[in-house]
Amino acid sequence: MNIELSEEAVEYGHQASRAFEAAGGDELVQKAQDAPDTRAALITPILDELGALDLEPRADADQLEAAAALCRSAGYWALPYPVAERLCRTTDLESDGLVVVTEHPKAPLGGLTDRWTAVDVDGRRSIATPGASGTAFVADLQLQPIDGDGTKDLALALALPMWTLLGMLDRALDLAVAHVSIRKQFGQTLSGFQSVQFQLTDGEVERSGLEMLARHTLWSIATDREAAIDDALALRMAALEAAEVVFRVTHQLHGASGFCDETTLSWLSRYSQPLRRLPLGLSATHALLTRRIGTAGLAPLS
Amino acid sequence: MGSQATALRHELRDLVKQHVPKDFLGAFTDDPNDLATAQQFCRLLAEQGLLCMSWPTEYGGRGSSPWEQTVVREEMWAHHEPRGAQYMGVNWVGPTLMRHGTPQQQAEHLPQIASGEVIWCQGFSEPEAGSDLASLRTNATRDGDGWRINGQKIWTSYATMAQWIFLLARTTKTGEPLFSDPGKTATKKQQGLTIFLVPMSDPAITVRPIRAMLGPHHLNEVFFDDLRVTEADVLGTVDDGWSIVGDVLSFERVGIARYARCDRLLRLAPTVLGERWAQVPDELTGRWTRMLTHCRRAQLMAYRIVAMQSSGRVSPKDSAGYRIAVTKLDQDSAEVLMELAAYLGDSEDDALLRAEIEDHWRYSQASTVSSGSIEMQRILLSRNMLTAK
Repeated sequence: MNIELSEEAVEYGHQASRAFEAAGGDELVQKAQDAPDTRAALITPILDELGALDLEPRADADQLEAAAALCRSAGYWALPYPVAERLCRTTDLESDGLVVVTEHPKAPLGGLTDRWTAVDVDGRRSIATPGASGTAFVADLQLQPIDGDGTKDLALALALPMWTLLGMLDRALDLAVAHVSIRKQFGQTLSGFQSVQFQLTDGEVERSGLEMLARHTLWSIATDREAAIDDALALRMAALEAAEVVFRVTHQLHGASGFCDETTLSWLSRYSQPLRRLPLGLSATHALLTRRIGTAGLAPLS
Repeated sequence: MGSQATALRHELRDLVKQHVPKDFLGAFTDDPNDLATAQQFCRLLAEQGLLCMSWPTEYGGRGSSPWEQTVVREEMWAHHEPRGAQYMGVNWVGPTLMRHGTPQQQAEHLPQIASGEVIWCQGFSEPEAGSDLASLRTNATRDGDGWRINGQKIWTSYATMAQWIFLLARTTKTGEPLFSDPGKTATKKQQGLTIFLVPMSDPAITVRPIRAMLGPHHLNEVFFDDLRVTEADVLGTVDDGWSIVGDVLSFERVGIARYARCDRLLRLAPTVLGERWAQVPDELTGRWTRMLTHCRRAQLMAYRIVAMQSSGRVSPKDSAGYRIAVTKLDQDSAEVLMELAAYLGDSEDDALLRAEIEDHWRYSQASTVSSGSIEMQRILLSRNMLTAK
């Protein structure tokens, strides 16, 4: 079992983060919100410079780790583009990207014209055509069935977007730490209050635990572990729980300013929603994983 | 982890199955057979080189990898710690003696720990010094060529059965000249503390058990009434005991593998319930799944620390985060298991599992307090977060 990311992958993630920042950072999502149809033109040149869309995470562990690090950096800047979903593309179909869907297929693909594939939790694959872009780029998908061979695609398609969400949690906590370190009340910075400190730890414990599950799931996928889909669902479950805690804490610590569009947290929080609700919310993820593992439980780590 | 670790796991499970009764719930019950079981099991582990496997060979160990030691930690805790109190000797008393002990102290104590023959207790907490340990009041005053110790410790696990105590006492008060450097005075309460290695058989030591929900022999008060010790009993340097306390805590960074027992009991529940599992409400089976995921999360967080320790990059942030996560898991999983216990009946297997679950619930209530309260871990973690930026 490997729970470390390679130095190369970590460095690639840093490079990507610097590139996203240089290209506009937090302003990218704001620009894209105003014109969803232009977001591909806004973001894909940055990804092309990074060679990001040439990554083949299904090919080997190195590329998988690099893809994960990239998605994390994309999440950190709430990048208004489905990087993880693009990288999850199937290798046996003509497709630019893959999303997991349920019986009410939706995904944050509004305004994008690429060739999308959808896979449901039973492995049925379809061609997916997004409709009009709604809140946080979420669009209804029109599905045209292809086959039932998508089980092998599922673990990666569930896991990689959770690396994007992890990056969002990294950023939310960074923002909260920065805010409580300068904001003063009753003559001292908020960070001096133990209740504030303890709320930060609530978020950090969730975030750091999620990071370990995310690393483990990469290993599970890279080694074709039989339980890879269950591992990915366990990751999703933990990620959704962590997001709930981290965003609740970071909003609370930001006070009213956290809801204002002048504050990055406000953007991050609302653009985390598609990742947290689609294709399955927390309860539905619980239910699916519980059904899948039956009485055997999760497969032991090693 | 690798194939060696997996083989070791199976070896340990076989040993437990063969040598530990099915109804064993730890060494600290009113039944003397339980303590005898633990003592015999420790000797068996020692004979097979499994008790102190990660110790260097010159001290009676096997020089095994920290991953193999992690497997031992997990399997022992999962099965109600059949090493009894020995885990303390193995995990931190021995390693601390290797680092700070004199050759005489090492020769006297390390072989005894490695052979599973001796139990140690930790004399740290006092009625007025829990989380704020450096405020302790037990004092050691100069008495000729030695010291005379008076004071009280509390919450001392294993004191009724220990042969030795790892005792922290104040040798110099704040504002007084330090013995180690008479030109300087102690300016902080962390200065002027000294570790003494003391036999519990000394008549100047009195132990009073504290009956508690954790079990009858877990908690004790220990009183020192003019206890005479010598220079030879000092561990490390007089007045510099606080640095040794820091080492003790670092050896205990991963601490108890609490997730291992949670995971084992959670997995056992559907096996024992059999067809009755279908009667368990969906909401509860969902919580069961959630706890299994949290077990995995805590296990991975522990492995992260082991990996960092192996490469010499230990982060207090990681260890504090892990301790918070694993103690919460202990309590949350105990609640889920107690609810599942309602579906158990009267068969032998049902009764055994119910007893395990009840023991786990009682013990888990202390997990956020014992070995340093969880609030201290939160303070450590938040300080690290705030100063890293």
